[in-house]
Amino acid sequence: MSELIARLKDALGADAVKAEREDLAVYAFDAYSQGRLPSAVVLPASTRDVSAAVKIARACGEPIVARGAGTGLCGGAIPAAGGVVFSFARMNRVLELDARNRRARVQPGLINLELTNAALPVGLFYAPDPSSQKVSTIGGNIGTNAGGPHCLSYGTTVNHVLGLEIVDESGEVVTTSLDDPGYDLTGALVGSEGTLAIVCSAWLRLMRVPEAVRVWLAAFPDFESASAAVSAIIGAGIVPTALEMLDRVMLEAVEAAFHAGYPTDCAAVLLVESAGVEEDIAAYESEIRRIVHEHGALAWRAAASQAERDALWAGRKGALGATGRIAPNYYIQDVVVPRTKLPHALRAVGEACAQHHIPVGNVFHAGDGNLHPLLLYDRREQQQVAAVIEAGNEILHAAVELGGAISGEHGIGYEKRGTLSRVFTADDLATMAGVREVFNASRSLNPEKIFPAGIRCAEVR
Amino acid sequence: MRRSSLAEPPAGAKRFAPATVEALCEVLARANAEQIPLEIAGANTLGGMGSPARASTIVTTLALNALIAHEDADLTCAMQSGITLSAFDKTLAQHRQFVPLDAPLRTKATIGGTVASGWLSPRRHLYGRARDLIIGTEIALVNGTLAHAGGMVVKNVTGYDMSKLYAGSFGTLGVLTRVNFKTLPLPRARRALLAKLPENTRARAAAQLTALSVIPAATIFVEGFRKNIEGADGIDGRTFVLLEGSEALLERGTREIRTALGRAGVPETTIFDMGCGAMLERIADACVASLGQRSITYRSLGLADSAMERATRLRDAANRQRLFTDLLFDANNGDVFVRLSDRDSRGFAAKIEQCHDELRAIDPRLTIVAGEAPIRAALDPWGEPPPAISYMRKLKAQFDRHNILNPGRFIVG
Repeated sequence: MSELIARLKDALGADAVKAEREDLAVYAFDAYSQGRLPSAVVLPASTRDVSAAVKIARACGEPIVARGAGTGLCGGAIPAAGGVVFSFARMNRVLELDARNRRARVQPGLINLELTNAALPVGLFYAPDPSSQKVSTIGGNIGTNAGGPHCLSYGTTVNHVLGLEIVDESGEVVTTSLDDPGYDLTGALVGSEGTLAIVCSAWLRLMRVPEAVRVWLAAFPDFESASAAVSAIIGAGIVPTALEMLDRVMLEAVEAAFHAGYPTDCAAVLLVESAGVEEDIAAYESEIRRIVHEHGALAWRAAASQAERDALWAGRKGALGATGRIAPNYYIQDVVVPRTKLPHALRAVGEACAQHHIPVGNVFHAGDGNLHPLLLYDRREQQQVAAVIEAGNEILHAAVELGGAISGEHGIGYEKRGTLSRVFTADDLATMAGVREVFNASRSLNPEKIFPAGIRCAEVR
Repeated sequence: MRRSSLAEPPAGAKRFAPATVEALCEVLARANAEQIPLEIAGANTLGGMGSPARASTIVTTLALNALIAHEDADLTCAMQSGITLSAFDKTLAQHRQFVPLDAPLRTKATIGGTVASGWLSPRRHLYGRARDLIIGTEIALVNGTLAHAGGMVVKNVTGYDMSKLYAGSFGTLGVLTRVNFKTLPLPRARRALLAKLPENTRARAAAQLTALSVIPAATIFVEGFRKNIEGADGIDGRTFVLLEGSEALLERGTREIRTALGRAGVPETTIFDMGCGAMLERIADACVASLGQRSITYRSLGLADSAMERATRLRDAANRQRLFTDLLFDANNGDVFVRLSDRDSRGFAAKIEQCHDELRAIDPRLTIVAGEAPIRAALDPWGEPPPAISYMRKLKAQFDRHNILNPGRFIVG
């Protein structure tokens, strides 16, 4: 047994440390790709365990990779340089639910949806709802600043984190709070993908369950008219709680898998949700309905019951999995453009995929301008793999050209770190590297993530 | 301070208001090279917040006041940091949009100063904090280079969210030159409800008003500040409730508020459909309204359900020292503002130091938000350092090794 394993077992207990090859192999992956085999996996049960394990890993010269459920789509949780993977499967509780102040303190391994399930009995819910919310964890969501369909009106994870308890690179426990005087470290830590610290607990904001919720579908003959309707709805001063688009490829896949109730005889569907007080919802419905018809909608339908609404959302959130029926593999891109540039962006996606003969489906957060083209391929065909990579790069490039960004909610991780310099100058990146230098001077926290290779902190002199 | 061309600018005044970002960068680079401390400011409307500036050379962003872009169909905009809040609001209102910053003295206050001071709007429980509405920034670093963060899209996780660090940094990491916001559609209607609030009704009123089905955009309890905020209330306090949304929502909210206040024993509620914005502005102004050398204003942040208790304890502690108090607290967000004053500056100076310690015992993080510089300098305006202060100091050193930018102004030193 290596010194690392022996010390970890001594500190955390033998059952909290995995070192067998077949166990380690599981933690080499996330939903994007495979990294190196880690040296060990630890399953801490407390902040104290995390602190102890960090100190041991550092003393043994091992990189440290924090991992939630491994649902990340850009390699953020893979042990790219090996090291010790910290799994938070045992730190998965709601520690405190403060209904009066609408907040909860939770451990990082808590599954996103379980927080809402815990808060619903007191009329509250946790708003960020990535499609993976049935499995992804709060810690992972904080790492990537996860979004979801409802962040259109409720905001992304960072808008809901009130404070953090972290373990730093030296194993010290530090807390941050939005109410603290000083720099907003909470805001800087959210979305830093485990490269600045390890989150051990978080105070999160909860929201009141709205008294009324309505979901509508609008079917369109082409994505241009659907995109124009999105711009018109937002431009009219209506910000629904969610405004999603699915194209025909995805509609067919979702219907085949879930029988969710989506039409399949149109080119695109807008899924619109509004929530609030009863009186407002009726007014929004007539206004949105008028706008979509003015933009050529073929059909309009309101979900008649909670069951219908749930089925539509289950179809939307399960859309990625549904593509298994039409292709062995998919590669999902995540780019964001100004909302009015959606038609241009969708055209660019279509052209890039057509040029490389890659079928593509689109299911995305139209209200935010956040595209998620799914490039469908067969991993066993080398030519197709190369074509997908090429097409993916062209989509990234097109988003940047349209004034957008290379990730709206999935993060940069391992996958996109080489492309960060397409969006930022060396001076821009140096400020970020300066922050990393402060928190993670040893580079032991999640190395080879976010930053392009070779980016250094140019201390501002 | 070393003698230099920068310390003695040609005009003789140690005040720079660069008209271009390039000129600003040049000033910064020169000051950094010559190690000349700079006070970084917008219009200095929040100059009474925190520690007094130590630098004698001032750099202001007032001349960087251009609208860069308002993509109204995208609900985004980009402004230079020196634009005033009133000009900013006016620009957005032309397209029925807004960004609820709600800082004091809006005809003078700048976007950059408001963002850099981390000013907190009483409407943030509904619309988010300023930092939540910022989608991108440009900052001039102390060495004269420009760094960008975020962009013009409403959702973005491309790299670290540096704008979060810049918002609330008091110009100590760099000088904000541009701020990009996501904008919000203006509420279709707004209505204010005012009521006198005898002290024995206050606790019940606060509990009732935070349990409505319609969430008000602001729920403020006021005691005193009679020259700043309307409502001659004698010894009583008063409440200001702002509703924003559709007409239907306002109607329901009005019914609920009247019922709630009636249940709490509040005798009468007055409705205003005009001038609601001006009332909100007067409340913001009151938060930093100073009586010169005979007053100081503290802010206590905390949980909403403890706001009234904190407010009462702070007031009572000050009254025990025979200081006058004006008080307001925000029932939705938990902010408490308490202004302490005396009849004259000598009496005030004699009492404030001991009172300060007593107030700090009630809330160790109590921050001074308004007061004359000599009083603030003697009182440690930022309170107990937060647990992560060592990281904050390291960040400061990383961005500004020679401590050129606003030295001594912020909690980082």
